Amino acid sequence: MSENQQSEATELPQNNLTSPPKNVFEKKAQWTFPGGIHPDDKKNISNQNAIQIMACPETLYIPITNYKGHPAVTDVKPGDLVKHGASLVTSIDTPSSRVCSPVDGLVVSIEKRNTLHPSQLPTPTIVLKTDESSSHFKKPSAEKNLSDLKNAEILEIIRQAGIAGLGGAAFPTHAKVDVATPIKMLIINGIECEPYISCDDRLMRERADEILVGIQIIERLVQPERIVFAIEDNKPEAVKNVEEAIIAAKIDTVKIAVVPTKYPSGGEKQLIQILTGQEVPAQTLPSKLGILMHNVGTCYALKRALLHGEPSISRVVTVTGEAVSHPGNYECLIGTPIDFILEQAGIDQNKLSQVIIGGPMMGIAIANLDVGIDNSVNCIIAATRSEIFHTDQHAPCIRCGQCADVCPASLLPQQLFWYANAKNLVKLDEYHLDDCIECGACAYVCPSQIPLVHYYRFGKSLKQQKNQEFEKSEHAKQRFEFRQERLEREKIERAQRHKKAAEERQKRATTNTGDDKKQAIMEALARVKAKQASSAPKDQKTE
Amino acid sequence: MKVLNVSSPHLNQARSLPMLMLWVVIAGVPGMLTMMYYFGWGVLINVIIACSFALLTEVAILKWRQKPIRRIITDNTALVTAFLYALCLPALLPWWATALGIIFAIAVVKQLYGGVGNNIFNPAMAGYVLLLVSFPVAMTTHWVLPTGLVESPPSFMAALSVIFTGAFPDGAKVNDLVNTLDAVTGATPLDSVKTALTQNFLIEEVMEAPVFGQHGGLGWEWINFTFFLGGLLMIFLKVCDWRIPLAMIIALFIVSSLFYTIDSQNYAHPMFNIVTGGTMLGAFFIATDPVTASTTPKGRWIYGAMIGILIYIIRTWSSYPDGVAFAVLLMNMTVPTLDHYTKPRTYGHTAQGA
Repeated sequence: MSENQQSEATELPQNNLTSPPKNVFEKKAQWTFPGGIHPDDKKNISNQNAIQIMACPETLYIPITNYKGHPAVTDVKPGDLVKHGASLVTSIDTPSSRVCSPVDGLVVSIEKRNTLHPSQLPTPTIVLKTDESSSHFKKPSAEKNLSDLKNAEILEIIRQAGIAGLGGAAFPTHAKVDVATPIKMLIINGIECEPYISCDDRLMRERADEILVGIQIIERLVQPERIVFAIEDNKPEAVKNVEEAIIAAKIDTVKIAVVPTKYPSGGEKQLIQILTGQEVPAQTLPSKLGILMHNVGTCYALKRALLHGEPSISRVVTVTGEAVSHPGNYECLIGTPIDFILEQAGIDQNKLSQVIIGGPMMGIAIANLDVGIDNSVNCIIAATRSEIFHTDQHAPCIRCGQCADVCPASLLPQQLFWYANAKNLVKLDEYHLDDCIECGACAYVCPSQIPLVHYYRFGKSLKQQKNQEFEKSEHAKQRFEFRQERLEREKIERAQRHKKAAEERQKRATTNTGDDKKQAIMEALARVKAKQASSAPKDQKTE
Repeated sequence: MKVLNVSSPHLNQARSLPMLMLWVVIAGVPGMLTMMYYFGWGVLINVIIACSFALLTEVAILKWRQKPIRRIITDNTALVTAFLYALCLPALLPWWATALGIIFAIAVVKQLYGGVGNNIFNPAMAGYVLLLVSFPVAMTTHWVLPTGLVESPPSFMAALSVIFTGAFPDGAKVNDLVNTLDAVTGATPLDSVKTALTQNFLIEEVMEAPVFGQHGGLGWEWINFTFFLGGLLMIFLKVCDWRIPLAMIIALFIVSSLFYTIDSQNYAHPMFNIVTGGTMLGAFFIATDPVTASTTPKGRWIYGAMIGILIYIIRTWSSYPDGVAFAVLLMNMTVPTLDHYTKPRTYGHTAQGA
């Protein structure tokens, strides 16, 4: 497709294909990012059939966390009956996030349960028993008209609906579309570069028109100069459907960019580099370049929320792997347990070796399957033994540098490995560990089969720990300094008081003349007399 | 369910380290066969001796260091070191010399630094240099005369006998210069050039000697060509880096062209340098040893180019005929510094590293 794209751009007169060239995003140069890999994409396991609706389980598990996995507060208590769409979890962190109830049901308990967080630490979780009589996937109500709403009202609806980025990071969307800086380019990310995953692909094939409505909502909010819809060239059907939807909706602001397949071109920084040739400066957000990126799934969720009043209570999940008999894409309610989903997709326990949440390159392997999905779960892989790579021990690094050749961030992975191993935080900084996006390309090509990303995460957590300790000690130091300052201040004040008092005494001693003395004696005598006079009646009373 | 992988990614499609090492040997086999055609069975016997002693030494040291022997020995790295080392040796070198060099290479240069991945110097070259400085005559002037100069190289039994007993089966001694030696061994072409130039011969006159072929040393042209093909195979399979050999060959060509242009009577033709001696073996098989080479892209260009330049300097002005081993070892020393100053610019950072 990339060749198509090029030929369309260069041979305009002869071109009478279905895609008119005005929908094609024209780059000034064939930019790409350095490195990258071409793993077998295995997408055809799951992308053959239309999105199906996953049944509603008896019980949903909804962890009480914010989008970063930090604890949040719950709006319900055990025994509460909740309605479809009611708020379950609210986080007041900046930006605030929210989880809405996917069903009518009963809060059975709030207990510590396993979550999908890689730490696998138990987290307070709402156990929600679903009401069987209610229908969980509501029929779309009539589309609302958005033209009467103010932007602030739209933002509030997005916040209320609990919409978060569905590309995987789950950043609250209302905060992302509420931009302060002018946006030059809005990028719609339909790349989906990880192997196995096809939920965005199916969404683009089946619901491109609705995605476009979502894009128009974002367009209205952020007023971008241009909009680019980026899709990898291994999804020709998705490209075709999006093109047709653009023509049908008569939208001329959205341009399609078909990007050559290479992992990890769907990474935010990498996609920006592919489309614009620019790099997001380290430690900053794309908005610094006037760029904003949203995932296609998020655009779809925005449309559902704003036009149908449907909060973010479900998402399309790719269920795949050779251990399931019905792989495909399923629209699942948030909180649906993984084991329930796998059961519905026809899991073969004998074949199953490992369940991976997310793609095989960046996903996490989980041990406990009785965990509810959250809105960042785009894929569940039920892998057989031969499907995934596994080794108990790795060979030493031979410094072959293949990792550096594939690193999309132009890091030196083998040096980072060395310094992470040595816990050398200074060197880890010098070699820009923070710029590692953990895409896993380095470990994928490593002949010594070193789990490099694991070492980087270790290095990052070491840094974090060190920073926390530093902050703590800084805090203690500050408190100590404050105390010292206070003591010093008090000492000085005391000394000044003493000095002042001494001066007063001295002054009095030197200025006291005979008249003053007489006067003082007279005053004293008068006081004594007065006292005797006032005490006399008292004495009588007591007698 | 047990979590198999503690961390992503859950895929790895690399050629494993043992396979990678095996490919180096496979890519070197055509070159070895060509050497056998010109120098006889001694080449293979050297390889076998070197490999045997390499494995024995490695096992002994691993046992001493209490390391998992089976897992480490099967990574094939000792095998590759021994193989490349043996290809640098004269075909009729006494067995104990071959053994000495490889034991030094594996025990001291590799294992004492911490084993594979931790050595600073290229073990094969360090072993070779030990022999070169200890037995310079045997290493430079006792090369078997290539096929074409002699009717055929020594037979298998003859080579075996010379290597292990120092004598031909019929009783003639190999280091008996007057008798049989002249018939079967001589100096390498590079050594011949060096010697002739010191005797004020001109390059044109030197090149007329029977030890030279069309461009370089007789036979050496083909040996270099086959190592070149093996090298291309390794680059195609991404077994070795492409920058180092390219930089090295280009640098060697440029430097030798420069001096040839200045004075073509006293400096050999650039092509002579490219196709004679250990140039191609060095460029593709020795200099690309990942452990001891620079790891940054820019660093590899510099590393390769400097080896090329040093080879020319050593060949032309030092008292040693070939300079690959010294050049590689000298550049090995510079690698930490080279890597430090050639860090690539990370995404989102300026060139200054901010």
